[in-house]
Amino acid sequence: MKKTATALATILLLGAGAAQAADLRMSWWGGDSRHIATQEALKACGEKHGHTIQPEFTGWTGHQEKVTTQLAGGTEADIMQINWPWLPLLSLDGSGFADLREYSDTIDLGQWPEEQLESGTMNGKLNGLPISTTGRVFFFNKASFEKAGVPLPATWDDLISAASVFKEKLGEDYFPFDATGQNGLTAVLVVSLATTQMTGKDLIDPATNTVAWSAEELQKGIEFHQSLVDQGVIRSWKTVAGGGNVELFELPAWSDGRIAGSYEWDSTYSKFNDPLEEGQELVPVKLLTIHDAVTEGVYRKPSMVFSISKNSKNPEAAAQIVNCLLNEPEGIQALGDSRGIPASRIASETLADSGAINPQLLEANRIVMEAKGPTVSPFNEHPEVREIFQDTLEAHAYGQISAADASVEIIEGVNGVLEKF
Amino acid sequence: MGGDSRYLGLAYVAPYIAGLLIFTAIPFIASFYLSFTDYDLLSKPRWSGLDNYTELFTRDRTFRKSLRVTLLYVLLTVPLKLVFALFIAYILNYRLKFINFFRTAYYVPSILGGSIAVAVLWRYIFADSGLVNMVITALGGEPVNWFGDPDNALFTITLLRLWQFGSAMVIFLAALQSIDKTLYEAAAIDGAGKWHTFVYITLPLITPVIFFNLIMQMVQAFQEFNGPYVITQGGPLKSTYLLPLYIYEEAFKKFDMGYASAIAWVLFAIIMVLTLIAFWSSRHWVYYAGDKRS
Repeated sequence: MKKTATALATILLLGAGAAQAADLRMSWWGGDSRHIATQEALKACGEKHGHTIQPEFTGWTGHQEKVTTQLAGGTEADIMQINWPWLPLLSLDGSGFADLREYSDTIDLGQWPEEQLESGTMNGKLNGLPISTTGRVFFFNKASFEKAGVPLPATWDDLISAASVFKEKLGEDYFPFDATGQNGLTAVLVVSLATTQMTGKDLIDPATNTVAWSAEELQKGIEFHQSLVDQGVIRSWKTVAGGGNVELFELPAWSDGRIAGSYEWDSTYSKFNDPLEEGQELVPVKLLTIHDAVTEGVYRKPSMVFSISKNSKNPEAAAQIVNCLLNEPEGIQALGDSRGIPASRIASETLADSGAINPQLLEANRIVMEAKGPTVSPFNEHPEVREIFQDTLEAHAYGQISAADASVEIIEGVNGVLEKF
Repeated sequence: MGGDSRYLGLAYVAPYIAGLLIFTAIPFIASFYLSFTDYDLLSKPRWSGLDNYTELFTRDRTFRKSLRVTLLYVLLTVPLKLVFALFIAYILNYRLKFINFFRTAYYVPSILGGSIAVAVLWRYIFADSGLVNMVITALGGEPVNWFGDPDNALFTITLLRLWQFGSAMVIFLAALQSIDKTLYEAAAIDGAGKWHTFVYITLPLITPVIFFNLIMQMVQAFQEFNGPYVITQGGPLKSTYLLPLYIYEEAFKKFDMGYASAIAWVLFAIIMVLTLIAFWSSRHWVYYAGDKRS
């Protein structure tokens, strides 16, 4: 009788355990190192909490469209990696994602300072937990600079003078830097950086929600970018387009060091460093500044957040996994620095104590966190603002319009978009 | 019994009808409604009347550019593809050794051609340091900027579509094989050469198939998406920014599904009008068996 009761109790307990086990999905974008680390973390956290998590990962291109379509159709993954500037697009009133404060018993929100939680909050609802804070930083291929016998640049002038040495000593196809990027995004950010350094202002004035720069100021920024092309510091827009729609880190010229630098998110250090051939290493340097810069002009923002679907059938289980990924040793160790330096206090401390963070990434993040600059408006990354900026810069790069006309066109176009908000 | 078999027939076609309704008819009607709304995908559509169409025809410079590029693309792709497919079909119609192998080999790109993988391959072949430029340089020529030069980019995308001539070719081949051989024998007896035989016998007899391929290829060309999306993202200077790419970006990048639906309906109207023109003109150049003119 006793045996029967024990067996019954065991069956009931097993049954209860099975009912709690959830089948979840998680989506993210990234490069190979992030894909591998995240899958390992999901395995570790899944085993710990008794859930299975189906991974859905892609590269950056097209990921926003995929998430938007899924959200519109209610078929999004339970856990999503969301780009911070997408939050106002996808959930302006806070109803686009689950409110993570409702799961504060499961997720240890105390690991984030209140202002960081605020950045993931839309209309009073915590829609996303910040994974890391990121910013654009200069990375240079140390081996290429050593080969050319040039020290790593500390100013724009150093970089510009390195170009002629590169060409003379290494060959015409060597460039110390690259500042166009896929679809011209890096070009936009380099023009923005130069203009911000000149003016001390971000593109958008938060007080008036209009463009803060005058046409003359922006014109100088555009001319500065063009001068980098003219002096052989970077490849021309046309040359970049000639390679087709390919990311910089996928190019043979990047991996063998013929292109020896770029201006990228600090959190993407591994993505750009991993493809380099043996004996080469990418190192971050302090933000290069122009003459008479009034600020370093750092472009810093919460990089990305983890969100939970409002349609999830197992939000509690999803919250357990999010907490595991960001706050528990299994998730923290497996994810490592694949999304930059973690914003969660316990995660960054754990990784720092165990020496698991790549020292160069740590340095890149330190540069970003210590640099000065005006607050960056999320509208910088509004798709229409980006499109106007990129298309106009492209037209200028192809010689279709002057820098003066381009600056007027950008300011009018961006103000037109901002008027809607 | 008769009633039973009628229901059985309906049961057989039910999956197709369900698929047609769910995946084609309902989205088709819905997109027409949405084209008169302001709809951001995530909140409810708001009726905006003709605003989307007014914007499209009066202020949208990107639409005008994209439409121009799309028409140029169709104008380039369709005739080139038809001529090329017919040329290959004509050769493969001869009784050559290993002919079945060649017929299969020439058809293979059509199976692969629409895929992302081949578009990626294309991107590498025509990249500045790709295979094509390597060959050109080896032959002593200057490398060409295939994707970076706005004058070349659309042509390069066209080549990708041209390479997928297999399905049109197979249809041409079937048509060529169905021509009565006695007609050729009679022409030969009358002293007609190859060119005259082709122009006065072959071509008129396959006009229904040319017409069919023309319509199919035109509709497909207007819907091209994979090539420019993967290879150039519509650039440079929007020189490969075909309308389907514009529709996609408006809908999923800018969250303007109402506007995207309006563009889609304009594209539909263009295809419809051109198809009607083709049908109308076919009375003058397409000959069917039993037709009094033939």
